[in-house]
Amino acid sequence: MLKIWSMKQQQQQAENAEGGAGKKKKKVTAAQLRVQRDLQELTLGTTMKMTFPNPDDILNFVLVISPDEGMYKGGHFNFSFNVNQNFPHDPPKVKCTQKIYHPNIDLEGNVCLNILREDWKPVLNLNAVIVGLQFLFLEPNASDPLNKEAAEDLRTNREGFKRNVRSAMQGGMVRGVKFEDVLR
Amino acid sequence: MTEAFPAALVGPSSKERKYDRQLRLWAASGQQALEEARVLLVNSDGPWGEQSTGVSGVVGVETLKNLVLPGIGGFTIVDPALVTEPDLGVNFFLEEESLGKSRAQETCRLLRELNPDVEGNSESKPITELLQDPNFLPQFKLVLVSGPVKRSTLSSLSSAAKALGIPVLYTRSVGFYSTFSLQLPAAFPIVETHPDPESTQDLRLLNPWPELAASLAGISNLETMDDHQHGHVPYILLLLHYLEKWKETHDGNLPSNYKEKIAFRELVRSGARTANPEGGEENYDEAVAAVLKSLNPFTLRSSLREIFEMDECNTLTSNSADFWLIASAIRDFYTKHRVLPLPGSLPDMKAQSADYVSLQNIYKSKAREDLAEVIETVRGLEAKLSPRPGQIADKDIEVFCKNAAHIKVIHGRDLPLLDGDTHTLKAIHNALGDPESLISTFLGFNILDSIITEIQTGALNQEALESSLAWEAGVDRVIQSLTSEVSATIDEETKQRILRTTQELQRMQGGDLHNVSALTGGLVAQEALKVITRQYVPLDNTCVFDGIRSRSEMYRL
Amino acid sequence: MVEINQTLRWKHLYNVLSRPGPFSDEDWVPGPETISALESSKILVIGAGGLGCEILKNLALSGFKDIHVIDMDTIDISNLNRQFLFRQSDIGKPKAEVAAAFVEKRVKGVKITPYVGKIQDKDEDYYMQFKIVVCGLDSIEARRWINSTLVSMVDFENPESLKPLIDGGTEGFKGQARVILPTLSSCIECQLDMHAPRPAVPLCTIATIPRQPQHCIEWAHQIAWQEQRKDDTFDSDDLEHIGWIYNAALERSKQFQIPGVTFQMTQGVVKNIIPAIASTNAVIAAATTSEALKIATACNPYLENYMMYAGEEGVYTYTFEAEKKPDCPVCGNLARKMTVDPNMTLEAFIETLGERPEAQLKKPSMRTEEKTLYQRFPPQLEEQTRPNLKLKLRDLIEDGQEIAVSDPAYTIDFRYRLDFS
Repeated sequence: MLKIWSMKQQQQQAENAEGGAGKKKKKVTAAQLRVQRDLQELTLGTTMKMTFPNPDDILNFVLVISPDEGMYKGGHFNFSFNVNQNFPHDPPKVKCTQKIYHPNIDLEGNVCLNILREDWKPVLNLNAVIVGLQFLFLEPNASDPLNKEAAEDLRTNREGFKRNVRSAMQGGMVRGVKFEDVLR
Repeated sequence: MTEAFPAALVGPSSKERKYDRQLRLWAASGQQALEEARVLLVNSDGPWGEQSTGVSGVVGVETLKNLVLPGIGGFTIVDPALVTEPDLGVNFFLEEESLGKSRAQETCRLLRELNPDVEGNSESKPITELLQDPNFLPQFKLVLVSGPVKRSTLSSLSSAAKALGIPVLYTRSVGFYSTFSLQLPAAFPIVETHPDPESTQDLRLLNPWPELAASLAGISNLETMDDHQHGHVPYILLLLHYLEKWKETHDGNLPSNYKEKIAFRELVRSGARTANPEGGEENYDEAVAAVLKSLNPFTLRSSLREIFEMDECNTLTSNSADFWLIASAIRDFYTKHRVLPLPGSLPDMKAQSADYVSLQNIYKSKAREDLAEVIETVRGLEAKLSPRPGQIADKDIEVFCKNAAHIKVIHGRDLPLLDGDTHTLKAIHNALGDPESLISTFLGFNILDSIITEIQTGALNQEALESSLAWEAGVDRVIQSLTSEVSATIDEETKQRILRTTQELQRMQGGDLHNVSALTGGLVAQEALKVITRQYVPLDNTCVFDGIRSRSEMYRL
Repeated sequence: MVEINQTLRWKHLYNVLSRPGPFSDEDWVPGPETISALESSKILVIGAGGLGCEILKNLALSGFKDIHVIDMDTIDISNLNRQFLFRQSDIGKPKAEVAAAFVEKRVKGVKITPYVGKIQDKDEDYYMQFKIVVCGLDSIEARRWINSTLVSMVDFENPESLKPLIDGGTEGFKGQARVILPTLSSCIECQLDMHAPRPAVPLCTIATIPRQPQHCIEWAHQIAWQEQRKDDTFDSDDLEHIGWIYNAALERSKQFQIPGVTFQMTQGVVKNIIPAIASTNAVIAAATTSEALKIATACNPYLENYMMYAGEEGVYTYTFEAEKKPDCPVCGNLARKMTVDPNMTLEAFIETLGERPEAQLKKPSMRTEEKTLYQRFPPQLEEQTRPNLKLKLRDLIEDGQEIAVSDPAYTIDFRYRLDFS
């Protein structure tokens, strides 16, 4: 033990660090620190807004995407972000909190985005996720859907799909499912 | 998990639940082999001077613990020693009340508590006496010996086991050092070696069989497919398709060298549609990634060629083990087709469910077809060699065919001794050339063995373990036998390395530390499990562990 | 009662502690002092599972007399193939208590104090009492937590605050043991990329184009349950729940003609089961406790700092020194002490940061564990935290509290401990 400590002291002199140990006070966790940094490095643009129900808890927030072009133009889409203490080893958990008509988002709000699951890496940041989500509204992907019916519509009848998107966004029924009004 | 299982469902039995975490490694077949095996532990071998023994036998007991827990059939502990105070400081399977009682009985009793499925008994007679009974040794599938034991005991035990084809593990653990050797039969075959799943893929893309080639018809309209279809063509078919295209412009030849494969990869890449939101297609990405590793002509691995050439494979008798009959049938298959039976597994890939399943079925039916051919050959061999003890199960032949490319035969060797054959001495001498090698520790244990033998025969008294003179004499003797046999010299630095090892052993007076013996018991149990289940690949043949540097090394001695 | 002669009993252990060896340090003083240092070393074991049971046994037989153990779990039938301190009749009881009682009973003279609960329940005062922490966990998150706790406890003025962390982990025939000297050597966070993330299948594959039996199980678990049993919280230990998933997966696999869904596979996928056997645990646990003995007594040099083990093909180990990462978010930026006037406003304090020698922080965002002090971006949060700028430090933080500061101009973050003047 003594040896270890003398090593420590040498290193301390070399670095001239001024460290110190807190008493019982809790430390900012690695996940919090990383989110603080990620938030600071976001590029949100005009189509995105974030709200923090509790500003002291930066691990849980809501992202609102309001596309200004494409088929989903005019809608306001809410996503809840839940970052756990194992971030960035684990990806953030993201869900759409409204019932929407989208080939890559199912009726439970699950989102099919590769970097939220199979392609997540700790070097990716929250900005990458947000960019990915925004992209889903500009270019809904019919090829690998979560909502099979919506994808089929998009694939086989693009105009019909567009109409469905409009009516779903107004809170209408599509294929027997009632969707949420997202235009307000 | 205490409530009853819903009645409507056929759930796992309580045994399956208990062994769940290991069944995921060696499956029911491995578990069955384990449950059918009985192991012998020889945990000491008579007095060291005035002591009832100096061998604590902790490695042996800890090894048994790791075999009893997963459910070995049974064990027998042979140990004439009585429990002494130092035993209580190193052996967890003794309690204070055990003091003065038979160590064999006490350790057996406490080990049996670990698993009611396991049968255990103990013998306080010395092993040499028990070996007199010709029915004693054959009941075991494996023999474990906690050393150091008297040289003559070790020799008679290991040669008796060898004659019966029973593997032997000989272990020693002193202070921070330990070593063990595994004596296997001259040919020890393993079918389920559990290679990395990546390395077992056999897709036959360069020489597709007719049904696989025919499946290409399904994508003849590749260029005109809609984007959705195009993005879901399994990459196997993509590669086959582009190989055909390649052949059209290359005189019917396949891409054979690295340069051509790179060019081929570009050809595949250029077929991907990129005018989509993702800027590419996943199935094409998979195809591109597979070019270098999946487009290699079949070659027989040299280890397999060796097996095909072994006498056991070429001169079958009615006593030949099942392994050799199947190996011989597979050799015939190879001779005829220049490939091995298809394993039949298909990696996961981007595809529509139905397309994937039908492609998978093409691979599976081919595998079944190949298997049927091998089974037919085996049955022919069985008829020719009859009477045989029983028909080889189809299941065994199937497992063999699935694993054919990775089967292994270990050429077992006797426990390594310094007055053994020159191979051992040469191997030691070679290893000594590396200053980082742990072989000096192995030599240290060898010296310990001879000192103990001399104490046990009365040539030395027990204090010899503490005498630098005795150890130094041992080092000289070892160097002597190395140099005289291999006609090479050992430099001073190497000698000092061996001496330092003996100083550490001397520091402990031959006694062990629980941690290191427990660690060694883990390693030894691992080897025992592999030998008994005949799965994974056991040690060939000696391992040395250095707990000071937290390192281990393997040697073939 | 049998009277046991302790010197005789610990003869082998005392040999290595009372005599120098060829590799022990020249300055090392063997003998009674070393022995009593060992016996008075309080040591903490985190986890009383496969590794933990072995670790407790090994420490008790290595001369440690005051051992504590934390585990929140209860004993399950699937533990019995390796967690050798537990019996059929113990199923359902807390692991830490059963394990502690067993070892205490078997190895007389050792005191083992169990705590049934989470490591996060305990604070720095609790961890400060130990000399060494040995970890036998299967959760990365818990490892990261104890690692960052021990790193942040290091006080340069107090040698006792440095707690060596010895960590073991296994999977099937493989495992690793590592020694971490918090702030001195590579820490768990530095080595995070050595833990491969759990392989995941795209959600859309699961939803629409399953090909493997595992895809059908994931569908039942991730999608069907949510749709059909929204109101039940899924519990992977509830056999009725697993049974439901199994049946749903089986149905789906029939629909897509995918063979291979079994109950065992269902459990494996849903619970993310890692194969585990007694022998691998024995190897790794003993490797960690051997290091604990060496560190507590200096009888031989300790591992620097990582040993990998693989037993599928013979016995393979690889020992190497993992490197400390200068930009490690845990040990790369230790808290620096700073004395501040509690009456200073946050705004004024931020200005002083712009003049710090180690980094001129021009656009910092900062927080404590509980509170977002000021966050420059995104705008909504900036607006929400802006009022803090006018507040005095004393109204925002406590004396001695740590803040973490990020600034876009620097790739690393900074931690400061603010002491009130």
